[in-house]
Amino acid sequence: MNDAVVNRGFGLARLDLRQRFETFATMARKTLLEYSRYPIAFAALFAQIFLIILLFVLTTVAFAGGDPVRISTFAGAMAYGFVVNIILSFTLWEIGFSIREEQVRGTLESLYLSPANKFSNLVSRIFAVLSITIVMCLGGLALVSAVAGGLPAHNVGKGLLALLLTTSGFLGLGFIFAGVTIKLKETAQLLVNGLQFFFMIFSAMFFPFSALRNVSPAIVDYISAMLPVSYCVDLFRSTLLGTPPELAPWNVEWVIVLAFGLLSPLIGYLVYDRIERKARMEGSLGEY
Amino acid sequence: MAAETVSKGFGLGRPGSRGSLGVIWSVFRARIKIITRYKGAVLLESIIPVVFAGLPILLGSAVAGSEQAAAANFFSYTGTTCPSALPSDCATLFRLYMLMGSNTFMIVSLMLWLIGYWVRREQETGTLEALYLAPAKRLYILAGVTSYTLVRSLLAFVTATVLGSIVFQVNPLSGLFGAAIAYLVLGIPALWGISFFFGALVMRIKEANSVIQLLQWVLAFAMGVYFPVTVFPLLLRWTAMAFPPTLMNDAIRSTLLGITSIYGPWYVVLGLMLMAAWTVPLLGYQFFGLVERRVRRDQGVGQF
Repeated sequence: MNDAVVNRGFGLARLDLRQRFETFATMARKTLLEYSRYPIAFAALFAQIFLIILLFVLTTVAFAGGDPVRISTFAGAMAYGFVVNIILSFTLWEIGFSIREEQVRGTLESLYLSPANKFSNLVSRIFAVLSITIVMCLGGLALVSAVAGGLPAHNVGKGLLALLLTTSGFLGLGFIFAGVTIKLKETAQLLVNGLQFFFMIFSAMFFPFSALRNVSPAIVDYISAMLPVSYCVDLFRSTLLGTPPELAPWNVEWVIVLAFGLLSPLIGYLVYDRIERKARMEGSLGEY
Repeated sequence: MAAETVSKGFGLGRPGSRGSLGVIWSVFRARIKIITRYKGAVLLESIIPVVFAGLPILLGSAVAGSEQAAAANFFSYTGTTCPSALPSDCATLFRLYMLMGSNTFMIVSLMLWLIGYWVRREQETGTLEALYLAPAKRLYILAGVTSYTLVRSLLAFVTATVLGSIVFQVNPLSGLFGAAIAYLVLGIPALWGISFFFGALVMRIKEANSVIQLLQWVLAFAMGVYFPVTVFPLLLRWTAMAFPPTLMNDAIRSTLLGITSIYGPWYVVLGLMLMAAWTVPLLGYQFFGLVERRVRRDQGVGQF
């Protein structure tokens, strides 16, 4: 038996890459299994995505004065912004909320005493839900596109890459909020709620940045432009709409989104690890 | 021991009118005490309608090029006549239209949400069954919970109206504000009735979160939060118009903004609202009782 491993209390457990992957796969399967017990929730989620997109598309129609090109462009801008919004919401909510549930059930401490890899454990909490959500978003977009007479979809490959990097970046935010949930407990939900609305407005998820600029250019220059989330929304949307991005040139936006997608999960996990370690040292991990 | 009381499972308990009022008050006070621990939640639900109203206003300005053009396009598309000839006044009315729609939506949504979550939380914590064993009639317990939801919703409505008026620079007091509030109050009993329907639904199907979230958006559609239901196809329009929150929303907006109601003259609106205030709570409570009996017979109310 390896002394170093024994010291860390891992017993006979393997700590290799395979174990990490197995942890991820097993926990993701468990999450899926839990979700499969609630089939109505699946149907409700799909219907909800469809309804939200349709509501805003119809609102766009009411403002467009009958111009079909304008309807198509702005409906697309709104619908693609919504996709980013729902991925952000799920990432922020799901990881933190499932940690909170483990706290309330009293299983978080036992889980953390097991040799399961923490990173795999955290990612598995969101993987299944996020995969389902993305599939549902694509379905919802297709359905709305059919209803609204077509949404613009240029550079689909690049758009998907931008979405992948965006999702990876959001994972980092999700990790931070998982840590915040351990610290703030019930109040963290409120913080997540508030942040959701903050990003919804200042990252212009349901309207172009020009609308914020009309209110005050300072909002875009000093708030929106400081948020990596804004660049994710802008890049994904502009790529699919085939229009120039509003916040910065293409190459700058790609660099920002790439850096966000790669660095955010690492930084987020470090923050989570630090908060979690502190909670363990204080003995407050299982407290709720 | 009264045989009637025993058969209802009340043991020696004989709840009189004072006792029943005590039940309502206790339930109400307990819920208020719990929510005062989460002050941020109360604040947030007052901000949400302002954000919801801001979304179409910003979207409209971007789509149409300016807010005045957005208001003109909106009134023209929805077949609503702006009571003022000045484009700037129409833009202000458009902002108020969105704000009042969002605020009313928040009231309706909160009332349903809170009742749904109350049933679900009691199921999950295992106290719903205990409530059924207590010598208190369900009607009074529900009255306590619905009173709490009413106070919380109205608080959110008033705060959101004040906040929204500042943010969007509109004056809700410029129209018939008193009459609009009277319509709001008149719409409350119907909302109680719908929340009984909703509570029964949650008790039956249990998956409260997903159902509540979905119904919220169905509500937003049916109520015409961002546009009047007149833009819907005929069948959908009639269905939406038969929904009491749509009537309430339309009554408040048409009174406050001085626009024509989609239901007709004011006395038709008033008559329909009175009818809804009378029939919907009765039907809702009957439905709740029916579902409750079925659940108790099938699996018991404690299962979740």
